[in-house]
Amino acid sequence: MQLVERLKHSIATGAIKAGEQLPSVRKMAEDLLINPNTVVRAYRDLESEGIVELRHGSGVFVRESVEARADVMRKAEPIMRSALDRLESLDLREDEIRRVIENELGLRRAAKEARKRRA
Amino acid sequence: MPETVAAVSHLTRSFGAKKALNEVSLSVPKGAVFGLVGENGAGKSTLIKHLLGLWRAETGSVRVFGLDPVSDTVAVLGRIGYLSEEPDLPGWMRVGELLRYTQAFYPRWDTAYAEQLRDRFALDPEARIKSLSKGQRARLGLLAAEAHRPDLLILDEPSSGLDPIVRRDILEAIIRSVTDEGRTVLFSSHLLDEVDRVSDHLAMLHRGTLRFCAPLEDIKARHRRISLHFERPPAEPPNVSAAIRVDGAGREWTVICDAGRIHAAALAQHLGATLVEDTAASLDEIFVAHAAH
Repeated sequence: MQLVERLKHSIATGAIKAGEQLPSVRKMAEDLLINPNTVVRAYRDLESEGIVELRHGSGVFVRESVEARADVMRKAEPIMRSALDRLESLDLREDEIRRVIENELGLRRAAKEARKRRA
Repeated sequence: MPETVAAVSHLTRSFGAKKALNEVSLSVPKGAVFGLVGENGAGKSTLIKHLLGLWRAETGSVRVFGLDPVSDTVAVLGRIGYLSEEPDLPGWMRVGELLRYTQAFYPRWDTAYAEQLRDRFALDPEARIKSLSKGQRARLGLLAAEAHRPDLLILDEPSSGLDPIVRRDILEAIIRSVTDEGRTVLFSSHLLDEVDRVSDHLAMLHRGTLRFCAPLEDIKARHRRISLHFERPPAEPPNVSAAIRVDGAGREWTVICDAGRIHAAALAQHLGATLVEDTAASLDEIFVAHAAH
């Protein structure tokens, strides 16, 4: 659903931060010119995904534990840099490094799916 | 069961040999934004005229707030705000005069709110109505329909021929009405994107008959678009019992179904085709399929 995706994107990019309150259903509906039920449904979906929490009487808040994806991605950068340094020191070319990464990701995906099937 | 604001039961209306409405039954729940769609001449305005008590039901019945809008006109109209496609406003009057004149009909007229809207819409109280642009006239009509905070706001093709800014004012009025606890909006439109965005209930009329009437979510959930690929072009269009529209040629075919979740993969296998896609049909596709069906 569009509104859910939009809100997720805003949270992921840090435009809406952890702990921040989302606009009331009424305000959201009037600002975006959409049916208030659509807003209620979007908030409920975000709640069931653990992204926001409904605090009774005070509104809808982004959970403190929700970290902006942009921040998480930033943490990945130094890890990737040092990994690439070491791979390059093995004299691997760019396309080979890419293949190694793709291969590892593929193996992990297969292992995960196998675990899911067994469960 | 939610409270019902308007209920129409087996309503039929003929103009000569033509049935403008044929056995139409529907109800508008309290607090809903009820979208009414259909092609020109589908019967939307005819239905609205019955709700307003302008026409008496020939057969069937019409109830608004539990009352008969023909015999209880004053009680019913006092709680309705109405805006038509071409608001019929007296051209010789000034804006301020029209508002005072309209106010007299509505005990619940909210002067402060009317002023607030007049200001927002930049309507000059001294201006003659005939000198207003089409957009300003629509805004004035909207103000007159809204300022008594009606329990039921009825808009008949309100966006027709208006620029996007005035259309936005109208959508805002719709949302404002329902976010105010308990008020209900019924609006007819041929602009499906508008209907999609603001309504939560949807009814479609086609040539005087009701094609569907349900919460918008339910309507979207039960209509699927299934795309099929055939290795060899079939001799005739694929025969699917739940289909309301089958479209395509050669190897590629698309079926619009009205049957809730259907097992698309099994359907494809049964037809000897490959399933390319099984997704929710758009409101446009649903509308077109029902109009052609």
